[in-house]
Amino acid sequence: MLLWLMPLVLLPWFSHNTDKTVAWQAMLPHDRLSQVVTLLFKLLSSLLIASLLLALAGPHIPERIIERSRQGAEFVILLDRSRSMDDIFARPPRNTLPIEAFSTRSKRTVSGDYLLEFVKRRPDDRFGYILFSTRATEILPLSYNRDAILATIEAGALGKGLSKTDIFQALSKAAAMFEGEAYRGSRNILLISDGGVILDASEKAQLQQRLAEMRINLYWIYLRTVRGMTLDEQADDNLLWLEMPERKLHTFFKKLTTPYQAFEAGSLKEFAAAIEEIHRQQYQALIVEERLPKQSLADWFLAIALFSSLVLTLARLYTSWGVKLAAQADRF
Amino acid sequence: MRLSYQKRITLTAIIMVVALLLVMAALWMPHIQRDVKIMDALFVIDITDSMNVQDATVNGETVSRLDWAKEFTRRTFLDMPCGAHAGLAIFSEARSLILMNPVEVCNSYHDLTQMLNQFDPHMAWARSSEVSKAVYTAIRQAKEIEPEPTIVFVTDGHESPPLHESLFPKFDGKPGEIHGVIVGVGGEDLLPIPKTNEQGEIEGVWGVNDVMHQDVYASLRSDTTTNVPKARTEHLSSQKKSHLQTLADRVGFEYVSSPTKPGKLVDAIRKVSETRPQTIDYDLYAWFSAIALALILLVYLPYGWFIRTDD
Repeated sequence: MLLWLMPLVLLPWFSHNTDKTVAWQAMLPHDRLSQVVTLLFKLLSSLLIASLLLALAGPHIPERIIERSRQGAEFVILLDRSRSMDDIFARPPRNTLPIEAFSTRSKRTVSGDYLLEFVKRRPDDRFGYILFSTRATEILPLSYNRDAILATIEAGALGKGLSKTDIFQALSKAAAMFEGEAYRGSRNILLISDGGVILDASEKAQLQQRLAEMRINLYWIYLRTVRGMTLDEQADDNLLWLEMPERKLHTFFKKLTTPYQAFEAGSLKEFAAAIEEIHRQQYQALIVEERLPKQSLADWFLAIALFSSLVLTLARLYTSWGVKLAAQADRF
Repeated sequence: MRLSYQKRITLTAIIMVVALLLVMAALWMPHIQRDVKIMDALFVIDITDSMNVQDATVNGETVSRLDWAKEFTRRTFLDMPCGAHAGLAIFSEARSLILMNPVEVCNSYHDLTQMLNQFDPHMAWARSSEVSKAVYTAIRQAKEIEPEPTIVFVTDGHESPPLHESLFPKFDGKPGEIHGVIVGVGGEDLLPIPKTNEQGEIEGVWGVNDVMHQDVYASLRSDTTTNVPKARTEHLSSQKKSHLQTLADRVGFEYVSSPTKPGKLVDAIRKVSETRPQTIDYDLYAWFSAIALALILLVYLPYGWFIRTDD
């Protein structure tokens, strides 16, 4: 826009404001030096106007994205938003005496807090977030923006849970987030839930294939609901636990060709340890994108303007001094 | 006016000195601190079925209310001053679900719009639309966020199941405790509502016998003062202006019906919000260099073309 004013740089070439009209041109001595100096000053004036105009036009190198090699990994966070997550985390059975005070915070707020801490500790990672409800929706595509991911996790810890959750859909969506992306470094899905589902054969095959194709590691932080139950079968198992959906899901995950690791969190300590372990494992070379903010070039043009105006101002001051002397001489 | 040669030369020299000083100032003057008023806003977007009615316009094209809501919200982000915060939530069934707490709107613009683009009827977890209760839950959750955001609730006001005026859900908060603006979307005419199936895909429209036409409680009453027989039009939808106004008054919100300019909405948000000042660095170089340029042009303007100079 401002550049339309560019023709103004021609002004000095047409202006004779400070010329002295001389009765007879031929009376003036021809002076090569003056001619050169005049030409030079006109050029400088043009340069001055041009550089001021350009500085005003707000020149800049636009925001750029460069790739750098860092340490870290890429994570898609799947935080269960079902109603059961509203229950108090690690609540002791009702028949125990309340000897020790236990936390009365819900599983969702506890998970939210640990996730926030995890994200804050990993400055170079790229995170994605999936709203894991009746229908999974990828609400935050993989992003380097810390504020956005932290705000999304905080929001996930608010309010009450939703009715149903569908782990199969959420996992497929999470795998799909890496589709069409160049492989930059370790890719992970971090699943935090307190329940499981029974998948059918075709769903299992699909998941298995998707995870392998995208080279994704799966972490499952399982928030224990039934005291004493473990994901792996044990010798003294309660018969009721054999058919639990979370056990079935765990068995399927273990058969995956891609890396899988489960953490069972029954207390805040175990939860913290799980997060710490994932943090420790996922420190590998990762290609990250960095955003270089736009750089203003106005100062360069202003420096040119400063130089030319300095020269011109000195010349004008000299001229005015000379004219003043001449005028004084006239008076006598 | 005529100036003698000597005066002209002196004047030019003075102007040039001033211009030089201005250029120096533009280059070296430190940034000054200036306070801008910023606000935190939480945009709640209605994603219920009635939002699929095609009676809103974006750039002269008729689009669904939901598309309008998304586009208008995006433009509002652009019109918010940098430093202001915006968050996103969706409304379905009888509650608002916050998806992103308010984040700085300029740095996170990309992520905000990415999330906004995902808003789709298939995210709905139930097929009802209880606007008033959703506004209440939004208010309740806003209190948990620090600092408390202003709620911008974008909806057409269609209640399904319908509400009787005397049987309004009870609001247990204090009106005006959380500030907010209800943004009405949708036209004046009653139009059929596209029906979504379990997967969130549109399948035909809601029929007259698919929906309730009376408030659940009113329909059970025998007195004809509350259970007034009326036209069965609840399967059709328009912007429920009087209902939204009532709702806004009840919770102490402002009501803006179908705004056309995002700037107007930003002004409305600013008006109701408790804005907080944020200091930003402000570079005055543009002002200095503009004045310097004007002065220099003054020196070189070809006055000779307009007035005769002598000497």
